[in-house]
Amino acid sequence: MTLRDRVRVLVGVVVALAIVVPLGWMWWNSRLPSSYSVMDMGYMDYGGGPHPAAGHDHTAGMDQMAGENSVAALETPKGRKPDVVVDLTARQGTVRLADGRKVEGYTVNDTSPGPPIEATVGQLVEVHVHNANVTDGIAIHWHGVDVPNAEDGVAGVTQNAIKPGQDYTYRWVAPHVGTYWYHSHQISHEQVAGGLLGPIVIDPKTPDKGVQEVLALLHLYDGKETVNGRAGFHDVEAAPGQRVRVRVVNTDNGPQALWTSSPYRLVATDGHDVNQPTEVDGRSVLVPAGGRKDLEVTVPADGSGVRVSLGGTGLVLGPKGAKAPGSPPPTKHLDLLHYGSPAEVPLATAGADRRFTYSIGRRPGFFDGRPGLWWTINGHLYPDLPMFVVREGDVVHVTISNHSGQVHPMHLHGHHAIVLTRDGKPVTGSPWWFDSLDVQDDQSFEVAFVADNPGLWMDHCHNLKHAAQGLVTHLMYQGVTTPYRLGDEDGNHPE
Amino acid sequence: MRAAYRVLGLTISGLVVIQAAAIAFAMFGVLHFVDDGDLLNKSLVDDRTGFDGAIGMNIHSVGAILISLLAIILLILSFFAKIPGGVKWAGFVFLAVLLQWVLAIAAFGAPAVGALHAVNAFAVAGLGARAAKQASAVAADASAQEAAAVT
Repeated sequence: MTLRDRVRVLVGVVVALAIVVPLGWMWWNSRLPSSYSVMDMGYMDYGGGPHPAAGHDHTAGMDQMAGENSVAALETPKGRKPDVVVDLTARQGTVRLADGRKVEGYTVNDTSPGPPIEATVGQLVEVHVHNANVTDGIAIHWHGVDVPNAEDGVAGVTQNAIKPGQDYTYRWVAPHVGTYWYHSHQISHEQVAGGLLGPIVIDPKTPDKGVQEVLALLHLYDGKETVNGRAGFHDVEAAPGQRVRVRVVNTDNGPQALWTSSPYRLVATDGHDVNQPTEVDGRSVLVPAGGRKDLEVTVPADGSGVRVSLGGTGLVLGPKGAKAPGSPPPTKHLDLLHYGSPAEVPLATAGADRRFTYSIGRRPGFFDGRPGLWWTINGHLYPDLPMFVVREGDVVHVTISNHSGQVHPMHLHGHHAIVLTRDGKPVTGSPWWFDSLDVQDDQSFEVAFVADNPGLWMDHCHNLKHAAQGLVTHLMYQGVTTPYRLGDEDGNHPE
Repeated sequence: MRAAYRVLGLTISGLVVIQAAAIAFAMFGVLHFVDDGDLLNKSLVDDRTGFDGAIGMNIHSVGAILISLLAIILLILSFFAKIPGGVKWAGFVFLAVLLQWVLAIAAFGAPAVGALHAVNAFAVAGLGARAAKQASAVAADASAQEAAAVT
């Protein structure tokens, strides 16, 4: 072998090592342990607020933190008799939809979508969940309902997955009127897609008797969009001149445009009333994945119907047999930044106690040993993500920005936040409260919330495929710990 | 080693053709789907079911990983294959694949960049074939020399 050959081989070995070693190291590091706690994930981000006392640091680990507040203790106080008792049985198998189609998936009480849960604000709701045969286990999350942390239904964070044959009871006081939904938070990207979900309506103490209420739950079953389990449009009887409130729930992974053939008013978004909503014509409203929009329409007096469209599916509201005009999708969307009228907000956002950045990106790398293009939060890949730490009572300011090329419907558990600005422009319309917010590519939102619900809360993308690809981080109240663990060993896989 | 280099170069070129075929299938599938009066939305696209061509998207994702892996192996192999210019061409393939990722990531936010992604795909395919040709030329030379030595 000549000197030239030797140099060549040496260079080859060096280049090979320079490529293989970092890749191997990245691959090795990306593998998730068979058992891990969300508390051990990533790094603590205090948002400029005070750090906890020494020894409570992230590196202290669980053992030294034991004896502090466990999420298991953050439950609805016992003793009070429930006002509403609901039994839900989850099953895996063939689902017969309302339109007669049969698909493989999941049912709740033998239907999908599952039965609506209805309560009046302030009532204590007790839900007995039974897992009949869902092999991977289940956990039921009350999306948008700000329940105590132990009732939040996230496998591996607030409870262990409910295994086949097991029962679990959730208790929560209906905190706020509005439209919500429940869904599994165990292997949610499969179980929610498969139909393990249902709507929740929390009524005011004195309902408006002049308004008819209709649910419109959007779900994609086996490649076909449906509303209330029916593809296409189906009729809902409503008298001429009748005001109808349509409670729209988007249970899918992507945003959906919603529009009507007659003018509508957007009366609530994510369970919070819009202040002085005006009539909208010729614009659709985007419903983020996981989000809810309540529209009010009036059935025409001439005996015709109103078409409520969610893409190619929806409802026709009107007298029996009423025809509704076709309505093509409007090219413009309603901008919630400027819709409705301003109102007092009980939140001193100027002097926030914590300021966090939640910047979403995308880059090639490894996720649990798999190569691919993965989502990043503040430049980091799962599980090396920030744990946003707050104290009870803090006013929290978050800048959510998206540089990833795709829309992300961001969902913070246990809290409602308010939009302050979008791309630097302040809200000039009604206070815009949300629990599910679409952040489009190249968009940046400043939002704020009060840390008023102690616990360990998921803060993730509700495109559940994205969540399963690592777009999940957590909000942690100082001193709160969880005894539950994620991973194969414990069988808890919330996403 | 040379044969492996050659096969890798050709495989990368071949996979680019499959990538193009897969994404064209996906695109025409989408057009066919909306032609039938169905509406396509983000949920359906992300679900990758319910419309013709959805499988094309999956193939394209897997193909991207495979081509990247082969480009890395080709580059490493080039240092040991003793092919004059072999390192250079493997390096070009590697850089073109790297650029392909950058363009793909950018194209989600700026679809016009997707056109450059397609153009660069031809570069990847061409460079893969060119690298393979380099190995063939060397092999031919070697055979000729061996033949000359025998006579």
